[in-house]
Amino acid sequence: MSAPRLEPRLSFPYRRPAVERGYTRQTLHVDLSRPAVAVKPVPPEMERIFIGGKGFDLWLLWQAVTPQTRWDDPENEICIACGPLGGTPSYPGSGKSIAATISPLTGTVIDSNVGGYFGPFLKFAGFDALEVQGLSAEEVVIVVDGIEEQVTLYGAEGLPEDAYALTAYLTERFAKGRPRDVSVVSTGPAARHTRFGCLNFSWYDPKRKRARYKQAGRGGIGTVLAHKRVRALVARTDSSVTIDTNAPADRERLKQVSRLHSREIVELDPKQNEMSVIGTTHLVTIMNDHDLLPTHNFRFGSHREAENLGQAVFRRLFDPGFDGCWMGCTVACSHGVRDFVPLTGPYRGTPVFVDGPEYETIAGLGSLLGIFDPHTVIEMNFYCDAYGLDTISVGTATAFAMECFELGLIGREATGGLELRFGNRAAALELIHQMARGEGFGRIVGEGVRRMKALFAERWGADPRLLADIGMEAKGLEFSEYMTKESLAQQGGYGLALKGPQHDEAWLIFLDMVHNFMPTFEQKAEALHWFPMFRTWFSLCGLCKLPWNDIVPEDNRDTPEPAKVMKHVRWYAEYFSAVTGRESTPEDLIRMSEAVYNFQRIFNLRMGFGRREHDTLPYRAVGPVTDLEYESRAERYDRQLAEIHPGRDIASLATAEKRALLRAHREAQYVRLQDAVYRRRGWTPEGIPTLATVRRLGIDFPEVVALLAAHGVRE
Amino acid sequence: MIRVGGKEHPWREGLTVAELLAELGRAEDTPVVRVNDTFVSRPRFGATRIPDGAEVFLIPMIAGG
Repeated sequence: MSAPRLEPRLSFPYRRPAVERGYTRQTLHVDLSRPAVAVKPVPPEMERIFIGGKGFDLWLLWQAVTPQTRWDDPENEICIACGPLGGTPSYPGSGKSIAATISPLTGTVIDSNVGGYFGPFLKFAGFDALEVQGLSAEEVVIVVDGIEEQVTLYGAEGLPEDAYALTAYLTERFAKGRPRDVSVVSTGPAARHTRFGCLNFSWYDPKRKRARYKQAGRGGIGTVLAHKRVRALVARTDSSVTIDTNAPADRERLKQVSRLHSREIVELDPKQNEMSVIGTTHLVTIMNDHDLLPTHNFRFGSHREAENLGQAVFRRLFDPGFDGCWMGCTVACSHGVRDFVPLTGPYRGTPVFVDGPEYETIAGLGSLLGIFDPHTVIEMNFYCDAYGLDTISVGTATAFAMECFELGLIGREATGGLELRFGNRAAALELIHQMARGEGFGRIVGEGVRRMKALFAERWGADPRLLADIGMEAKGLEFSEYMTKESLAQQGGYGLALKGPQHDEAWLIFLDMVHNFMPTFEQKAEALHWFPMFRTWFSLCGLCKLPWNDIVPEDNRDTPEPAKVMKHVRWYAEYFSAVTGRESTPEDLIRMSEAVYNFQRIFNLRMGFGRREHDTLPYRAVGPVTDLEYESRAERYDRQLAEIHPGRDIASLATAEKRALLRAHREAQYVRLQDAVYRRRGWTPEGIPTLATVRRLGIDFPEVVALLAAHGVRE
Repeated sequence: MIRVGGKEHPWREGLTVAELLAELGRAEDTPVVRVNDTFVSRPRFGATRIPDGAEVFLIPMIAGG
């Protein structure tokens, strides 16, 4: 390979505006096709209704695409935005970027909330959001340099292939002696060959003297970046960020509320989950104990070897030290493994630093595949990041392929000779390497579960009904890693999520199953209204949700609504008011989110989705598909059937009959839940926001009203 | 003696997590506890004995994902 070369193709000087009350009030548009760069103002209405972050992304993307736009069309964009609170170093969890695009997996909008410094640095370099549109004729790197006040499009040759090496190179190339001033967004070679390429967002870790990474994993945004032939985005700004950098409306008020939340985390995290030491790895054994840890393609919720992947192991493996993915964050949960030596692939035998794993990666690349060896999980984590792959989709898609192989639905002729059984660590790793090389069965797995289902039925005659039941995707997106069979509320949390089954909208399993906070349909529906709305708000503002409810006040259990952690919600209202000067209550935060949430639902409708029929789930998310699953928890299911059908002799039924009875009941329950949630959200029975709802939320733009009318929603 | 959330609590041979939570009146609302460096969930409360001198923390587990 030739030496790396970056040749300037286009330079665009600009004046960096002062940040005021969390906003620069302008966005940056890069057209790769022409190529051209432009700056757009942020109108007051855009700021008022869409707030920032994901809201800005959606509004910009809405204007860029048409109902016919596919993910690989030139007009599709990658939008990245921070938010008005993003970049505050005093308040924990305030450095998130939100990326959005039309997804190669789902065909509609996907959004992903990610750490690293890029979003805040983009804002401090002068832009509330970035749109990358068009298709480049050559490989390029886009650099937004807030210090030089210049956007430059570089033609790129000979750059390192993998994301780790590429980011290290670009950080050094543009640091000018201050690597902490640089953040890089990149993907890797597998993004070119799969539909679930991820984006790696970097920050520089001065203690370890290296770039670190967080991933915008879901939905294939990395695939879109690679298709546009953008090797990387670079933001550069003066990293001497303080509480004043966002020019808050009320500095003292911000200082006070920041101090309250920061101090509470410092005091309580050591008494609670210890996220600053073990990240989210504590969830592995907790989920396992409650039969909620997915194993073997979501067949089961626990396994005797799960402790091998638990926090006790990672407590020893993680490199001690500060691991905040944004400055000053006291949760600081982004841990990594130092001097890990892969056994396979291009880094075989070479010590590397691995960022992660988190719970989702451990479950997806571990228990879900029947793999309970932490070192294999770490190696898969490393290569997924380096190759630019979403660990969740890789895990869930691979698990589906493994089960199809074990059931004989596909054979070695399909897998290219791989003995793709659960627990086969070598085969799982090989698939990831194949995805990076764009060859073999890895390329097929890289198409995602939805397309594998169609292919396996068409090419190898697999039973499409069974494939539909065990293929863990909804809306085209692979499930994230929680068992939902025993939690109707979490089935709704996945099935009714706008982008597909990702837990960031509503994680209700514990509240529903363990705490029993929502025994009725109406209470579940209320939860499936309030929680997605409040969680959406974090992505409007550039925030992480962990400080809200992963570390909770000691007196929280004595409050009227402990699930909502209202003390913290009130702090967030205070935080928003202090930075933006827009005086807000907790109810106001929910209304902000409602507007954007409903707009995204309507965006889905525009793209041909967003109706009841698109909110369905594979049956494995709802109940036992096979006799094996039923019999593994027969006592539980028999008891439930006896309650549902009092007087009926359940014991005399064959397992298949019992499964069918249970299925009819559970599927009907899910439909009832849909009805209740749609009513609570102000939607029609088809799942479309009503005119009254869009008017109440101020999103009754003419094109929205026309779209609703086209779908039969009128006065 | 053990410490629960930083406060001293009497210990006895064979004390289980379930018994401790019952003594504290926290059996209903505590799904997970941490005993030193080990997380213990409700299904294992009855079978998990607490060693003398242990640091015990009651984990609210409102969130997770």
